[in-house]
Amino acid sequence: MKHKVTRAAGTGFTHLVLGGYTLLALFPILLVIINSVKSKDGIFDSPLSLPTAETWSLVGFEKVLAKSPFIHFFGNSLTVTLVSLVLILVLGAMAAWALSEYKFRGSKLLAIYMAFGIMVPIRLGTVSILELVVKLELTNTLTALILVYVAQGLPLAIMILGEFIQQVPKELKEAARCDGVGEFKIFFQIILPLIRPAVATVAVFTMVPIWNDLWFPLILAPGEETQTVTLGVQQFIGQYVTDWNAVLASLSLAVLPVLVMYVFASRQLIRGITAGAVK
Amino acid sequence: MSQVALKNLTKSYDGKNNVLSGINLDIQDGEFVVLVGPSGCGKSTLLRMLSGLESISGGDLEIDHARVNELPPAERGIAMVFQSYALYPHMNVYKNMAFGLKIAGAKKDEIDRRIRHAAGILKIDHLLERLPRELSGGQRQRVAIGRAIVREPKLFLFDEPLSNLDAALRVQTRLEIAKLHKDLAATIVYVTHDQVEAMTLGDKIVVMHDGHIQQAGSPLELYQQPANLFVATFIGSPKMNLIDGIVTEASAAGVSVKVAGDQIVRTEVDGSGIAIGDKVSVGIRSEHLWEGDAGSERFHGTVNLVEHLGEANYLYLTLENGQDVVVRGDGERAVHIGDTIALSAPAAAFHVFNRDGLALRRLKPGNMVAARHRTTG
Amino acid sequence: MKRAFPWHIAVFLAPAFLIYTAFSALPLLDTLRLGFFTTHDSGHQTFVGLANYIKLLTDPDWSAGFWNAMNNNIKFFLIVMFVQNPIALLLAALLSMHGVRGAKGYQTLIFLPTLLSVVIIGFIWQLILSPLWGVSEKLMGFVGLADYFQPWLGDESSALITLSLISVWQFVGVPMMLIYASLIAIPDEIIEAARIEGASSWHIFWTIRLPLILPTLGLVTILTFVGNFNAFDLIYAVKGAIAGPNYSTDLLGTFFYRTFFGYQSQIGSPTMGAAVATTMFLIILSGVGVYFYFIQRKLQRFAF
Repeated sequence: MKHKVTRAAGTGFTHLVLGGYTLLALFPILLVIINSVKSKDGIFDSPLSLPTAETWSLVGFEKVLAKSPFIHFFGNSLTVTLVSLVLILVLGAMAAWALSEYKFRGSKLLAIYMAFGIMVPIRLGTVSILELVVKLELTNTLTALILVYVAQGLPLAIMILGEFIQQVPKELKEAARCDGVGEFKIFFQIILPLIRPAVATVAVFTMVPIWNDLWFPLILAPGEETQTVTLGVQQFIGQYVTDWNAVLASLSLAVLPVLVMYVFASRQLIRGITAGAVK
Repeated sequence: MSQVALKNLTKSYDGKNNVLSGINLDIQDGEFVVLVGPSGCGKSTLLRMLSGLESISGGDLEIDHARVNELPPAERGIAMVFQSYALYPHMNVYKNMAFGLKIAGAKKDEIDRRIRHAAGILKIDHLLERLPRELSGGQRQRVAIGRAIVREPKLFLFDEPLSNLDAALRVQTRLEIAKLHKDLAATIVYVTHDQVEAMTLGDKIVVMHDGHIQQAGSPLELYQQPANLFVATFIGSPKMNLIDGIVTEASAAGVSVKVAGDQIVRTEVDGSGIAIGDKVSVGIRSEHLWEGDAGSERFHGTVNLVEHLGEANYLYLTLENGQDVVVRGDGERAVHIGDTIALSAPAAAFHVFNRDGLALRRLKPGNMVAARHRTTG
Repeated sequence: MKRAFPWHIAVFLAPAFLIYTAFSALPLLDTLRLGFFTTHDSGHQTFVGLANYIKLLTDPDWSAGFWNAMNNNIKFFLIVMFVQNPIALLLAALLSMHGVRGAKGYQTLIFLPTLLSVVIIGFIWQLILSPLWGVSEKLMGFVGLADYFQPWLGDESSALITLSLISVWQFVGVPMMLIYASLIAIPDEIIEAARIEGASSWHIFWTIRLPLILPTLGLVTILTFVGNFNAFDLIYAVKGAIAGPNYSTDLLGTFFYRTFFGYQSQIGSPTMGAAVATTMFLIILSGVGVYFYFIQRKLQRFAF
């Protein structure tokens, strides 16, 4: 009997802590979204209540969409993130394959060289990156951002994909070689499909920091044309800091796409992180 | 004195479907009990219920006449050896063995004495400072057993402890466990899916299937008087041959069965519970089907396949009546595929199972080899 | 006969190698080089040896700012380290317990903030903590603490702590997931063996599970270290480049930004910026070095 009581108490405590923390994690985000669809009075008089017929208002969103090319920023972010992601995954997998499959002079050294970027933040090279981008006449282009993000994402991608590639049974490759299949075909038609789960994991690790980055858009592509969502919101709020409707609406607009994506991808994402971490 | 008693134990996870039901078993002091059965039969669940890792849904579990259903594992006086050994990877062998004793509050010199003693028995004295990952599979196995011994438990529980070892080591370790049982006079419950392990180790073997105990008894009892078709085919290798037929004569002194090809097989089993015209299965072990005509019941068969084991051949034959059987033949005799061979068996060697698969009692289950020599000699 | 040049290897490696080298490795090296130069008004650069570093560490105009940022950064790291990671450990331990209903749901929701931009999170908390809006005050009122409300972000003594707690709030999901993954990787049988030997859940946690996940805790520590000594976005979003009030929230990242791009009266200097970046590089490198040579080597990973 005593055991049952302590167990029930333990379960209660567990859910209290986890539930409490979950509430803490969600509250600020929900608060902003709820208040973004209220009138100014509603926001200040009853910030903690849901919008009512009286306080319901989309004026904030109207202002944001009228005063800033938000959809355009969104497109920029999407372009930068997706192109970088594809390049990181394809180029990373190719390099990971080469480094783990072919042993040549200096292959170890090359692997260490590529792995260096995992621990050292690329931000520290900003002074020279900016010089280089200026020299290449790439300032205020999405290309500059993409190139930097690919360079930033490759090291981790190569490491994780490399570990998975090493687990592909040797027999598979040997069987293919015996059949006279070329090295490129082996990679694209045998290896790449086999490491799909790892690719999903790497995609998660890579995508989020690119989408959310402020530093490089601020430095390399601050022009109106090339602003990403993160930078756009930052600049917008700086300008309209006293217009609460607009600020809350712009924050909601920045949060919502990620929320929508998360609703669809959270299972895959959590599994990917768990699997990746066990490696 | 009955040391451990299982009284009508049941286990269910959802309150409706029983994983285990009606488990009754007595385990005597110093007895080596083997739970054996195919995977999914509930043997591991039962072991875990004994250990306290799995709750008991119904019935009573008694150790030394005290009901222990609700006692946590540590208070039941048991020790368990896991399939994966479950050694603590970050502790050396000594600390692995000391862990439980420390928790129990044993004195330092007492802990040391027990560990030295167990290490001596298991010949792992020289490994005490090593980490588990520095040990071979066999050594890890010993440490896992050592960790159980130092607790001086009333009951040892082994969960498939040999399944991670290679074949040679498995045989050797099997012998050592048997010796350990004698030396320590320990009460052991041992789970395995391997019938050879079960037969060689157990004082009492408990054959389980579908959450029920099919039969519990000594190795010889299971071999000679299997209670039903499941036990009959599970114990013994190759599997017992089964031939379907219809009863033509039945009495307390014997049963005659008409099998395919209208052949009548005479069997020496107690047929009191059976009637003429009943469908039955006749069972005969491959080692009791002899080449030649020494036995009273005679068959002819054509060889399809021969497996050479050295001391014996397994002959896969099709009898004249179309029935497939396996025969354990003389290993040194040259047999070829396509050969026709005369076979025979004494009436006493047959098993008969009724329509429900339950065995009729054999009248003379005893020594078949002697019977062969008697008839041929 | 000489083997043909393995073109396929070159083709597989070249794109990744070139982009990484051009946009990551070489700029980093070039930054190290630039730190030894100075920029003249005319724009050309001359070699000055360690002068930039000496200026940075000893010239009062520079060193006060640098050491302030350094101290703040250490505080920021320590607060995050000793608040975020214990919370993460607690959450992960609770999540990994047997038969916790809804564990996946909790994980998913607690992880959500890590996906949002630091900038967005910064603004959100700025609003919530704003005395103008009064949400925090109201919430604290529910538990009778309304009188204790302060505009924490605006106060020199509490702004940095508040920002680091915001960072904790956002990123606790990452160490939580890493620790959770390593906790559930411990085989059940090992935990069961300990239970049979009479160890309580509490005892099992401290003597079995915690020692077995030490490598992961080491990894979490170094990730926290690198992330925090490189932080910029949160401070910049909430406090701008001058990291007010009165530089009390200045970190090395914002200091680097100001040095490089200039602010108010001071003109930006790429070479001084490079010197600051190099210093940050050395700090991070020494942290990573300590991790690899002492922690990683001492804590063996346990194969189960």
